[in-house]
Amino acid sequence: MTISSATGIIHIDPDRRPIKTSNTTWRIRLTLVILAFLLIWQAAVAWFKLIPSNFLPAPTEVSVAFGELVVNPNFWSALAFSLGNMAVGLAMAIGVGVFVGIALGLSPALRITVAPFLWLLYSTPKVALAPIFILALGLGSASKIGLVFLLAVFPVLLNTMEGTLTVSPSLVNAARVYGASRFSVGWKIIAPATLPFSLVGIQRAVALGFTGEILGEFLGGAGGIGHMLEYAAYKFLMDEALAIVFVMVIVSNLSLGLISIVRRKLAPWDTDQKGM
Amino acid sequence: MTTETAQRRASTAPLISARGVTVKFDVARTGKQMIALSNIDLDVMEGECVTVLGPSGCGKTTFMNVVAGLVKPTSGSVFIDGDEVSGPGPDRAVVFQDYALLPWRTVFDNVRFGLEMQKKLSDGDWRDRVQNAIDMVGLSGFESSYPRELSGGMQQRVGLARAFVAEPRILLMDEPLGAVDALTREVMRDEIGKLIAQTGKTVLFITHSIEEAILLGDRIVVFKSKPGEIKEIITTGIEGMGSERNAQNDERFHELREHLWSVLANEAAAASK
Ligand SMILES: Nc1ncnc2c1ncn2[C@@H]1O[C@H](COP(=O)(O)OP(=O)(O)O)[C@@H](O)[C@H]1O
Ligand SMILES: [Mg+2]
Repeated sequence: MTISSATGIIHIDPDRRPIKTSNTTWRIRLTLVILAFLLIWQAAVAWFKLIPSNFLPAPTEVSVAFGELVVNPNFWSALAFSLGNMAVGLAMAIGVGVFVGIALGLSPALRITVAPFLWLLYSTPKVALAPIFILALGLGSASKIGLVFLLAVFPVLLNTMEGTLTVSPSLVNAARVYGASRFSVGWKIIAPATLPFSLVGIQRAVALGFTGEILGEFLGGAGGIGHMLEYAAYKFLMDEALAIVFVMVIVSNLSLGLISIVRRKLAPWDTDQKGM
Repeated sequence: MTTETAQRRASTAPLISARGVTVKFDVARTGKQMIALSNIDLDVMEGECVTVLGPSGCGKTTFMNVVAGLVKPTSGSVFIDGDEVSGPGPDRAVVFQDYALLPWRTVFDNVRFGLEMQKKLSDGDWRDRVQNAIDMVGLSGFESSYPRELSGGMQQRVGLARAFVAEPRILLMDEPLGAVDALTREVMRDEIGKLIAQTGKTVLFITHSIEEAILLGDRIVVFKSKPGEIKEIITTGIEGMGSERNAQNDERFHELREHLWSVLANEAAAASK
């Protein structure tokens, strides 16, 4: 490209943009693989009877169970219970994680003081704390929300801290050169530089928070799709159990997809779609 | 060109004046202090372009940061037009080696950043000023591009526009072309030379390229390391800037280059002992 400027004509080569691998080919392949998998499953169970169908029902049976599930009002209230707990736990985890993460990123003194405790808690298999949560917070929503929070807060906190710590000093200097106040440095430099890191953490937190919710329901209480799954398995209703697992896969993918959209909207400059 | 330079040299009081600037850093590992800069005295006249040349680690960036008001000297002071520097100010703008562009802002919004921080967006004509700066560095048409979509050279053009639009009296440039590829580097060196000549800014230009130091500087300050001190100040004594200077003054150019080579080679040998 040729451009004329005040200082004469210059030639500029536009940067090569990364070539996108075709999305549609990938989708077609994925669909084919899933179809083949379902076909083999159907054949093994229903046509060749290799596996007894009360252990592993055929996809057709599962889809019938799924159809029954979505017209069952109990299912919807269970789903609402699970998603409600998750939303509350995640909101708390995001609030606390972002706040503490920024504070730790900005203050070396705080980092040194808090880091050992943080590390201790982080390295504890948090699932091991689940029974304690049930005992302490009871069989209702509170214990589930607590577990969601505990599992979800770390990725948000640690990613946010990393984001705040890795803000380029020369960006801060650039702001200071033009007389930016401390508030402006925080709001116009540190916050946007940290945002993509927090969003990656939030995406991980959603996946982990869902695990926490289901786990909490397994361990005690009488609500939520995790409990519904456990009950179906207990009654040996394998078609219903698998239908519920399928629902969980959908919920998980929808929420991860939603965060991906939020990430692209809030941080379009962050093309490095690192991790999940 | 001759009259312009004559005008520059006409003013007598220095615009930038460093007196006994010493900077010591605490080294966490050894618990001792290291002397990054020792007793720097330097005057820069209004309209003058002074290039600072020296091996890596000799304190060039530290010196520029002191002039910019980003680093407080351990002792000594810098005066701008007679006033002691106590922090950054609208009379100075910096062009950074790593561009220091905000990745979440478009070219246009990056260029306006300085005005925004200086609370000058209430001025009715700020959009025109931003656009003029973008046009001046040859980035017309790239206003809504993000930095990551631009090559290194183009990103530094944004850095230049951001500095120029704030209309500082003094431009501080810290190896602005250090991270730019070799071919673009020469093109941009000549363009920067023209921009400096056109705008008549007072410039402190840090580089480790001998050619840049000669082709852009009215004077060349050579730093030595351990501790960072001024080894030598040379007046180039050539008219014009950039490629103009190269073509018209082959002899003086080569003489200076040879001299600076041997000074820096001695310095490097001494540093490695
Ligand atoms: N903030 C700092 N803390 C400790 N040491 C520093 C700091 N900034 C620079 N230094 C040290 O001071 C010396 C000079 O650095 P610098 O001014 O960046 O040199 P140059 O720009 O000439 O390469 C180097 O040895 C560097 O490690
Ligand atoms: Mg440097």
